[in-house]
Amino acid sequence: MSASPSEPLLSVRELHTTFPIRSALLRRVTGHIQAVAGVSFDLRPGETLGLVGESGSGKSTLARTVIGLEKAASGTVTFDGRELTSASPAELRAARRDIQMIFQDPYSSLNPRRTAGQIVAEAWEIHPDVVSRSRWRDEVSDLLARVGLDPSHADRYPHQFSGGQRQRLGIARALALKPKIVICDEAVSALDVSIQAQVLNLLADLQADLGLTYLFIAHDLSVVRHVADRVAVMYLGRVVEVADQEEIFQRPTHPYTQALLSAVPVPRPWDQPQRESIIIGGDVPSPADPPSGCRFRTRCWKAQDVCAQVEPALEIRLGLHPSACHFAELLSAAPGNSPEGSLTPGG
Amino acid sequence: MTDTPLLSVRDLAVRFRTGAGQVRAVDGVSFDVRRGETLAVLGESGSGKSVTAQAIMGILPRPAGEVVAGSIVYDGRDLLAEDPNRVRKLRGDEIAMVFQDPLSSLNPVFRVGWQIGEMFRRHRGASRRDARAAAVELMERVGIPAARRRVDDFPHQFSGGMRQRIMIAMALALKPRLLIADEPTTALDVTVQAQIMRLLADLRREEGMALVLITHDLGVVADVADRALLMYAGRAVETGDIREVYDHAAHPYTRGLMASIPDLDAPRERLTPVRGAPPNLLDLPSGCSFHPRCPHATDRCSVDDPVLRPIDGRPEEHRSACHYAEEVLAGEREPV
Repeated sequence: MSASPSEPLLSVRELHTTFPIRSALLRRVTGHIQAVAGVSFDLRPGETLGLVGESGSGKSTLARTVIGLEKAASGTVTFDGRELTSASPAELRAARRDIQMIFQDPYSSLNPRRTAGQIVAEAWEIHPDVVSRSRWRDEVSDLLARVGLDPSHADRYPHQFSGGQRQRLGIARALALKPKIVICDEAVSALDVSIQAQVLNLLADLQADLGLTYLFIAHDLSVVRHVADRVAVMYLGRVVEVADQEEIFQRPTHPYTQALLSAVPVPRPWDQPQRESIIIGGDVPSPADPPSGCRFRTRCWKAQDVCAQVEPALEIRLGLHPSACHFAELLSAAPGNSPEGSLTPGG
Repeated sequence: MTDTPLLSVRDLAVRFRTGAGQVRAVDGVSFDVRRGETLAVLGESGSGKSVTAQAIMGILPRPAGEVVAGSIVYDGRDLLAEDPNRVRKLRGDEIAMVFQDPLSSLNPVFRVGWQIGEMFRRHRGASRRDARAAAVELMERVGIPAARRRVDDFPHQFSGGMRQRIMIAMALALKPRLLIADEPTTALDVTVQAQIMRLLADLRREEGMALVLITHDLGVVADVADRALLMYAGRAVETGDIREVYDHAAHPYTRGLMASIPDLDAPRERLTPVRGAPPNLLDLPSGCSFHPRCPHATDRCSVDDPVLRPIDGRPEEHRSACHYAEEVLAGEREPV
């Protein structure tokens, strides 16, 4: 899906989301976790933006803040020209109808006491203008069929469906309000690989049929590469690199992106004898106490003094695409190949 | 090294009693693990791969799970037939296991050094001081930074990757000859997963132990495993040298799994996943359990249950439990 040159559908600027850390005894606020620490991005109509990062990167909190499930500490979220962080409750409700979410765990996000049909129709109670009550039954059948479920199963309860079917039900529920944007938060991560592939195909079909815009959050880079037009890589609350899908996989310039890509398991490593793995040490630091300067520097093999002092801006580097590294550079590999060549990270 | 396998599992069957009835979670599975080799056991949820490991370790949940047939022979001794006390000691000393979730396998109220040291105190009669020194040494060995300082920390003070290293340290304490790792990296981030897989591969090589890696992720083991065993609905459906199996998959399920993995080098190509969902073990299809999902299935497949067998034109070791393995391999039988 090529991005249209028109206005972005969703525009996020300098978004911060913080959570207080409270002492065990007196519940005093003793510090803050900066889960999202100054993130900006645009979502263009009809595109899929992949958001990748490891645990603690803030990608899920970012999604929850965009949709209003968490309150932004600062920054703006603009949808279709309306600024959401300062919107009135009525405006907010209208906007939320257009932005829906699919969660990782289809079981815990579906009410076990409601039937599939009730789950799908639930949102129409809050937004009665979308589908008139007399058409609920037909519309539920249509939605179930559209996501590959048997419409005659509308009377079944979530536990009577398999994991893959429950995720389809979660997708049907998300589509009930005819949204413009669907945020998929690790939507296929909990599924077995054969079922995961089925759901990925379904998401692609729905996008083609309904013109949906996806914000696709995942930790699995092969999945993101499969679905995304553009990819933003997050680390410890910040976007470290963003580019078109092809560009980020072929010409990553941020060391974290390079390490992340090289760590992706490939099914037939013997077909890529040149592929050299970059294994970075350590774990993601605590977002309650992020490193000064560049947040990745504690695990980075290129880190210099400047990295501890100056936070690198996310700006176009090497004339390619935005990357937040003082020492952004291409791997020595020939363009068009996986990471390879002479790079040997230390530490 | 001798030619006899270190571990030999024959016709293993495990029954589980559930509220809804009895299921055969593992049904007639046979395989060998040779000394020093790495075997990958692959399959999706419900395939029986973890239950197989639990049966080998003697940790099937009781009374629901029970081995009802077959043998598990370790180094010439049948673990199912021998005196349970001696078998328990053998399992502690020579066969070790690492689980998916290190936090629930570690005791939250004991310091990690004490928990690692317990292996030496209980099995080797080591003094507290010696056990502690050995724990520090092991923590260094599995790559835990500042081990001397962190030996007195509690499990919650470590990250997920470091906890998995602690579990590996405990498993290695008694220098096992066989290590079974059940989804050891599934709960970890990609960069940490790469660290742990490399650690396991290095340790296996240095210690000369055999490694059984159980996982749903075909990619994660490709670098380190020598052989692969694919499981589906409690059965072994394909086995052989890992490269042979991945490059010349001769079972439609293996082919389907490979086609389900998004290819980093072929983005946006439509996936061709296995259709349908894994069967309910309470109500397995007749004949070949895979036949309702199989693009190659014929009438024969719903009646005649295929067994693992060599494939014409492939190495003797490579086996597939499909009536049409040769045709699947040759791509002659186009999916319907």
